[in-house]
Amino acid sequence: MTPARIRDSAGRVLSSLLPPLILLVMLGITWFAWDHERQTAHKALRSQFEFSLHETVSRVEQRIVGYEQMLRGVQSLFATTTLENQKALHDYVEALQLDANFAGVQSMGVIRSADFPDHAIDPVRRLALERARDSGMAANSGKARLAVDTTKDAPPAFVMYLPIYAPGLPHDTLEQRRANLIGWVYAAFRMNDFMASLYGGQSPGLALAIYDGTDPSDTTLLYRSGGGSSADRAPSAHAAIAANEYMVLAGHNWTLSLRTLEAFEDQYGRSAQNVVAVAGTVLSLLLALLAWQLVNGRERALRIASAMTEELRHMAQHDLLTGLPNRALFSDRLNQELARAKRHDGRFAMAFVDLDRFKSVNDNHGHNVGDQLLQQVAGRLTDCIRAADTVGRIGGDEFVALMEDLSDRDTLLTLAEKIRHAMRQPFIVNGTELNISCSIGIAVYPEDGSSADALTKSADEAMYSAKEAGRDCVRLCE
Amino acid sequence: MLSRSILVLLVLFSHFGPVTAATAADCSRTYTLALHDHGLLYSADTDSGIDKDVADELIRRSGCKVTVSLMPRARIWQLIESGALDFSLSGIANADRDRFAGFAWYFSNKYYLLVHKDSGVSSLSAFEQNGRLQLGVIRSFRYSESANRLVDKLQGENRVSQAGGLAPLYQTLMQGRVQGMIIEPFDFPALEEKKIREVTAILEFNDPPVPHGLIMSKKALSTAQQEQWRAIVSSMRADGTMRRIFEKYFKPELAASMVNF
Repeated sequence: MTPARIRDSAGRVLSSLLPPLILLVMLGITWFAWDHERQTAHKALRSQFEFSLHETVSRVEQRIVGYEQMLRGVQSLFATTTLENQKALHDYVEALQLDANFAGVQSMGVIRSADFPDHAIDPVRRLALERARDSGMAANSGKARLAVDTTKDAPPAFVMYLPIYAPGLPHDTLEQRRANLIGWVYAAFRMNDFMASLYGGQSPGLALAIYDGTDPSDTTLLYRSGGGSSADRAPSAHAAIAANEYMVLAGHNWTLSLRTLEAFEDQYGRSAQNVVAVAGTVLSLLLALLAWQLVNGRERALRIASAMTEELRHMAQHDLLTGLPNRALFSDRLNQELARAKRHDGRFAMAFVDLDRFKSVNDNHGHNVGDQLLQQVAGRLTDCIRAADTVGRIGGDEFVALMEDLSDRDTLLTLAEKIRHAMRQPFIVNGTELNISCSIGIAVYPEDGSSADALTKSADEAMYSAKEAGRDCVRLCE
Repeated sequence: MLSRSILVLLVLFSHFGPVTAATAADCSRTYTLALHDHGLLYSADTDSGIDKDVADELIRRSGCKVTVSLMPRARIWQLIESGALDFSLSGIANADRDRFAGFAWYFSNKYYLLVHKDSGVSSLSAFEQNGRLQLGVIRSFRYSESANRLVDKLQGENRVSQAGGLAPLYQTLMQGRVQGMIIEPFDFPALEEKKIREVTAILEFNDPPVPHGLIMSKKALSTAQQEQWRAIVSSMRADGTMRRIFEKYFKPELAASMVNF
C-alpha cells in the first residue's frame, strides 16, 4: 500500500469512528453535568432539610418557653397569696384570658406539697415534680395520661410543673429548695393540641414525629404529623434524608424525628437533573447523527464525483450516438496495435466502412431516423467482428475496424463480405424498412503502410476505390 | 516617708482590688445573661456549675443588676446575634461568631471523641471512614479545628444527630443510636458512672486547647462596655479567683492547665 493509500484508509477509519466517538464524549459530558446537578440538588435538599429541622425544633422550644412564661405568672401570684386561695388562682387564670394562643393547655392548677408524696401520683409525674422542686425551674413530665381522658386510647399528653417556695424563705441551695417547697403550679397539655398551637407553619413534604425520651417507639410516640398512614410509619426506605434531634425541653428529653417525603424531594431537587439527563442524551444522539450524516455525505459525494469522472472520460473517448470508440480512442488503439506489431513482428488489418448514400436517408426521413439507423449499423458491425477487435465511428457515416493478428487476405475478404452482407439486410426504424449498403476498404500492416497515417491513408484509398467501383463492394489495398 | 509608702500601697491595692475604677462596669441598665445546661458548666438539676459561679462573681464585681436565665445553646447564640441577650459564658469563637460577639477569655480546653466500644474503632480516622457510625452533637456547638472538620464532613454524609443538651447524647450513645460524641472536660463526671465508663473509650483530637470566654453581644454592648467586662474577667484571672472556681470542679493540675493558657 502506498503512503497516500494508507493515509486515505486511516482517514476513512477515523471518519467512521467519529460519530460514535462524539456520542461517547457527549454522553460523558451529559453524565458529568447530570452528576453535578444531582449533587447540587442534593446539597440544596440537605440544607433545606437542615433548615426545616432547626426551624421545627425552634418552634417547639419557643412554644414550651411561652407556656413556661405563662406558668411563671401563676407562680408569681403565689408570692402574694397562699396556695389555699383557689379564688385568686381562678381569677388570675380568668384574667389571663386564655385564648386560642393558649389552646394547647388542657388544664392548670396547684398541687400543695402537703399532699405529696401521700397523693397517688404516677412515677412519670413524680419524677418531674421532684426535678422542678430540686432545680427551681420548669420541669416537663414524660408521656402521661390526663385524668380527664378515661378512654383506653387516651391521647398522649404531658404536664409542665413549676415549684412554689414559701414566701420570704431562701431557696438558693438544693437543701433550701427541698425544705422550703410549698407546692407546684402545673399546666397539662394534650400533645396534639400543643402541636396545633405552635407558631409558624410546617414545611410541606416533611413527615414529623415526636417521641418521649430518646428511644423512639410506638409506646413512646407523642405526636405524628397528619396522623400518618401505616406506610408513613415504617422506617422510610425511600426517604432521601431523615434525622432525629434529641431536644431538651424543661429538663425533659423529646426525640423529634423528621424525614423527607417525595413532595419535598420534588420541590427542592430532582427535576433539574432529569431535564439535564434527558436533554443531554437527546442532544448527544442528535450531534452523533449529524456527524454521521456529515461523514457519510462526504463519502457519497466522493463516490458520485468518481462516477462522474469515469462517465466524462467515457464520453471523451466514445461516440455519443453509437457508444463506439471515437476517433481519439481509435487512434490510441491503432498506435498501441502498431507498437505491439512492431515489437513482435506481427501483422494486423484495418478496414474503412463507409455507408453508401446515407445522406439521402437523412434528407428523406429526417436526422432522427438517420441517427437511429447509425445506432443499428454500429450494432451490426460490432456483431460481425471478433471480441478482441475494435470498431470505431470516426465521422458521420464513416466507421473503422481494427482486426488484430489478421492478415490473410481471404479471411479478410470473408470478414469484409460478412459486414457488407450484414449491411444489406433491411433495417427497421420507427416501423419503416430502410435498405442501405456500404463500401469497404482494407489495408494491412506492414505491406500497406508502416505508420498510422500511412495505413489510414491506404485504407481510405481502398475504400474510395470501392466507391468508384460502384459502391456496395470490398476493396483490398493494391 | 511612711505616709508616702502607705499611699503607694493604697494605689497598688486599689489596682488589684475587686471593684476599681478600671474594672467598674457601666450599670446604667439591667443586663441579661443566659446559662446552658452542660455537665460541670451548669446543671439545672442542682442549679450549680462553673458558669454559675463565674456569673455570680462577674455580677458581684460589676455591681450591675443582671437577670440570669437558662436556655438551649442554639437559642443563646441566636439571641446574642440579635442583641436580645447581653452575655453568656464558656463560648468559643469562629469567623461567623466574631461578626456579632466579643469574647473575654478565661480558660481553654481540649476536645475528645467519646466512642462506644461496640463500634470497634480505635482512631479518629477509623470513625470517620466507617459510614455506619453516627456522631451525636449538641446543636450550635463548635469545637477545635479537626473536630469541626469531622462534624462538618459527617453532616454532609447524613451521619450526625443533633441534640439540645448533653444528657440525651449520653442516652443515645448507650442505646447505640449514635456511636460517638464529642466531649470536653466538663462532660467527664458522666464518665464516672460505671455503666458509661465500661462501654466507652476516649480518643483525643490532636488540636491545641481552644480558648473559652465570656460571650458579649456586639449589638447590645458598645466596644467600651465590652472592654469594661473584659477588665473584670482579667481581674478574676489575675487574683486567682478563676483558678479557685475551676478547682472546685477539677483536680488542681487540670484546673491550672485550663485557666493558665
